[in-house]
Amino acid sequence: MSDILALAPRFGSNSGQSLTRRDGVAKVTGTATFAADNHPDGLLYAVYVPATIARGTVTHLDVAAAKAHPGVVEVITPENRPPLAGDPDSKPFMFAFRFEALQNNTVRYANQPIALVLAETFEAATEGARLLNPLYDAQQPRMGLDGDAPFTPESGGLGLPGTTVHGDIDAGHAASAQDIDVTYETPEQYHNAMETHAVVAQWNGDHVTLDIPSQAIVMQRGAFGYYFGIPPENVTIRSPYLGGGFGSKAIINGPQILAILAARMTGRPVKLMLSRDQMFGPSGHRGATRQRLRIGIDTDHRMTVLDHNSLATTSTFDTFVESAANASQGLYAAGALRSAHQGVRIDAGTPGPVRAPGEAPGSAALECAMDEMAYKAGIDPLEFRLKNYAETEPGTGKPYSSKALRDCYAQGAARFGWAGRPLAPRQMTDENGMLVGWGMGTALFAAPMFAAQARAVLRPDGTGLVETAASDMGQGAWTALAQIAADSLGLPMDRIEFRSGTSDLPDAGIAGGSAHTATAGGALHAAGTDAIRRLAELATGDPDSPLYGAGNAGVIARDGRLHARDDDTRSESFADIITRAGGAEVEGKGSASRTAEASAAHAMYSHGAVFAEVKVDPDLFQIRVTRLVGAFAAGRIINPKLTESQLMGGMIWGISFALHEEARFDQRTGRIMNADLAGYHIPVNADVSGLEVITVHEDDPHVNPLGIKGVGEIGITGTVGAIGNAIWHATGTRVRHFPIRIPDLLTGA
Amino acid sequence: MSYLTPTTLDAALGALSGRDTEAPVSVIAGGTDWFPAQGERAYNGTLLDVTRVEGMRGVSAVGTGWRIGGATTWSDILHADLPPAFDGLKLAAREVGSVQIQNAGTVAGNICNASPAADGVPPLLSLDAEVELTSTRGVRRLVLAEFITGVRKTARAADEIVTALYIPALSAGARGGFTKIGGRKYLVISVAMVGAVLTLSGGRIATARITVGSASPVALRMGDLENALVGADLAEALERVTPERLAALSPISDIRGSAEFRGEAVVEAIRRTLTQIMKGQAHG
Repeated sequence: MSDILALAPRFGSNSGQSLTRRDGVAKVTGTATFAADNHPDGLLYAVYVPATIARGTVTHLDVAAAKAHPGVVEVITPENRPPLAGDPDSKPFMFAFRFEALQNNTVRYANQPIALVLAETFEAATEGARLLNPLYDAQQPRMGLDGDAPFTPESGGLGLPGTTVHGDIDAGHAASAQDIDVTYETPEQYHNAMETHAVVAQWNGDHVTLDIPSQAIVMQRGAFGYYFGIPPENVTIRSPYLGGGFGSKAIINGPQILAILAARMTGRPVKLMLSRDQMFGPSGHRGATRQRLRIGIDTDHRMTVLDHNSLATTSTFDTFVESAANASQGLYAAGALRSAHQGVRIDAGTPGPVRAPGEAPGSAALECAMDEMAYKAGIDPLEFRLKNYAETEPGTGKPYSSKALRDCYAQGAARFGWAGRPLAPRQMTDENGMLVGWGMGTALFAAPMFAAQARAVLRPDGTGLVETAASDMGQGAWTALAQIAADSLGLPMDRIEFRSGTSDLPDAGIAGGSAHTATAGGALHAAGTDAIRRLAELATGDPDSPLYGAGNAGVIARDGRLHARDDDTRSESFADIITRAGGAEVEGKGSASRTAEASAAHAMYSHGAVFAEVKVDPDLFQIRVTRLVGAFAAGRIINPKLTESQLMGGMIWGISFALHEEARFDQRTGRIMNADLAGYHIPVNADVSGLEVITVHEDDPHVNPLGIKGVGEIGITGTVGAIGNAIWHATGTRVRHFPIRIPDLLTGA
Repeated sequence: MSYLTPTTLDAALGALSGRDTEAPVSVIAGGTDWFPAQGERAYNGTLLDVTRVEGMRGVSAVGTGWRIGGATTWSDILHADLPPAFDGLKLAAREVGSVQIQNAGTVAGNICNASPAADGVPPLLSLDAEVELTSTRGVRRLVLAEFITGVRKTARAADEIVTALYIPALSAGARGGFTKIGGRKYLVISVAMVGAVLTLSGGRIATARITVGSASPVALRMGDLENALVGADLAEALERVTPERLAALSPISDIRGSAEFRGEAVVEAIRRTLTQIMKGQAHG
């Protein structure tokens, strides 16, 4: 057996070792090089000027004043902005969003770029940007969910959710013995990765090298190539480390394009890094939602209908509608299911994918509505969910590739101590007189795959090299993927070199959709397996090898040696096999993706159950989450330590969603009033206590050859609703918006 | 821009003297409020860093009272050996920003910044703090309530340095307390806070100094309430905390909380602070 992964014929959870992150030492010692740490010779610093209105036009910029400032080299405005080969207002490829790159003097949202200043120092560029002193013709911005008439988005790809109906909705409503009709709202949220968006661009003829944090390293070559009129192979992207991405770093934004354009215009390398407040504008966000949920149940508490309608904000110039209502697909065995979406156009930047896009706000509303329905029916919320447990995917009837949700419920409830929870609210207090409440929610996230390729090489010295352009956003890809690769090659971790994070390597797909480990890991495993197959051919075909005649199928790789499967004493080291064959490296190639047939055959999701305890001050209404237990089943777990960290991070985001995060727009100006981390709150360490993650065993023979699902996003789902439900259970006040804040509980006092 | 780091008070005052309008000099200590307030703008003036001026840092007993040097940090307060009347100030010291902020930010800076939400001001008002202002023209002292004149406004003249705060003599049994209301547990700007100093006699309040912050442009002592509390035991004291006795407050609604909530919450926060002190639970 390998000491990296327990490669049994069929994999259970927690089969790998809890190795510490391979990038950890580099990060804590400061030697990890992030995009903006690059300082090529001759570097110019770029600072973009953010619009301070949300709607209107720029009427004047004092370019002369900016240019007169010592150190300022160039000022780019719509007047002199060099042409782009690709139109920023076009949508030529998947994940293309329209963006502002000074194509005209229109302002479409606050913080969009209206000029770019280049200087010899960052300070000079900053001062030059201030000296531009823009004047505007401002118009009243359209703000909020009621800012304009709703529209129905075309259905299609990401951000274009349509309407999905299974069964007879009207009949489902008519058949209900009891029902609820509730509306929940969630606010605009901004990703705010620790590392803000940045780029260092260097041109060499018609080739450009970009140091840029990227969640889609190879794919983005084509995107950048499109805008600059060069083939993808002329774009080199280097993204060895990302300080978080959460979806925003899979999308190209205007300031980055302008910096790359400025580098070509000036013939010098250019660096741009967004300030924290500039993260509240051009780099995507989660739109606000208003979700109406109607649930009907029969006399046996079985759901006759789950009818979920969501309205979400998007921009005036592009469409990304948060697919919140889709959270009601795939989970509960309702007789009839409808998920419908509408959008409303406001004068804000275009939303985009934010960790658990759709599912995060959708699950928040759904899980609270389920809690309301259970209370109305007079049964325990967990019992209500079990009553409506879906054995096959609701609506489609597809079998699940695997679904250990019952185990999640059971293990989570046991660990939390759910049994004996009073049904009615405001029944429990602690020794200090705090109101105590318990709530729960189901977690669900799809387990998709993208397409990836990888290369594995066995060297004459017996070491291995594996390559794929993966993105380590802090989630641990460098480590978990290397574990898979090492295992596929039968080598210990310290004898493989893992090259990753640059676009000259095989495409690892997108680090998104909670699919990176499954996709890039699958490709690496296939490449390693291919290399071992070729090595086995050399050995078993060579009369001088102890493995001669053992046959390909009869050989296994372990700790740098091939062994005959039926006779462990017959073995030979990789180095000896390769050296005797002439010393040429043995190369394997592999790829991973999911076929249409596989997608059609099974419904594939990660599942989980989250249990929350909150304490609420009965007089001051301060809310604290005191315990949070999440039990998740996500197929095979490669590295339990990293997996638990991912799930914990998601659950902490859930606390943030439930209690803190909200961008507040000034309705008069359209500017965000809390565009910094002092005002845009996330939990601090002291807000997180009693957090526990359980990974539940789950074998999945169908999801992909390695049996891996995803853990990157599911932690948010379930958690938000669990906390909202616990607050209700503590106080008796049902707050139907997030975040839930102190004043929301005043009315129920 | 120039950055001055004088080591003597004379040198510091000389740098400020006669330069009030032409080339403004900004006095800083930790700079934890000053630097973030600058935004993108390049600073072309002169910064006068007073943290290296001899004798400016530290807490000492002076006569019958106490002197808090103008460059004394919040961490210095936390680590100083002070009587129980300072427990409220110490509890506030733990809530000013983060530990890093507390290591750099100063008590004097907190009052000079004059934010309505300054955590240090309610306990200092309850300690009857006085502010020592020094210039080449001389030395003067103002009570803190006269020093802070409005939102981000003080009585400090451009050539003056806050060289110290003085806490007058305290009754032997005086005890302090502090309660902060915030949307999360740490690193949070106050929605409202209460600082109090009580003296007790036989379980009853002999004197009370109660200050509410973040519910008016400048933190306010609640004189009516203070008078009403005299003679009360804990149960009576809690009953006597009524909205009518807090009528001087004028809470606003802002991004952190509504006026309504502030009005209701300060009543409870005062009660908690009284309980904390009278039950001996306030430990700085």
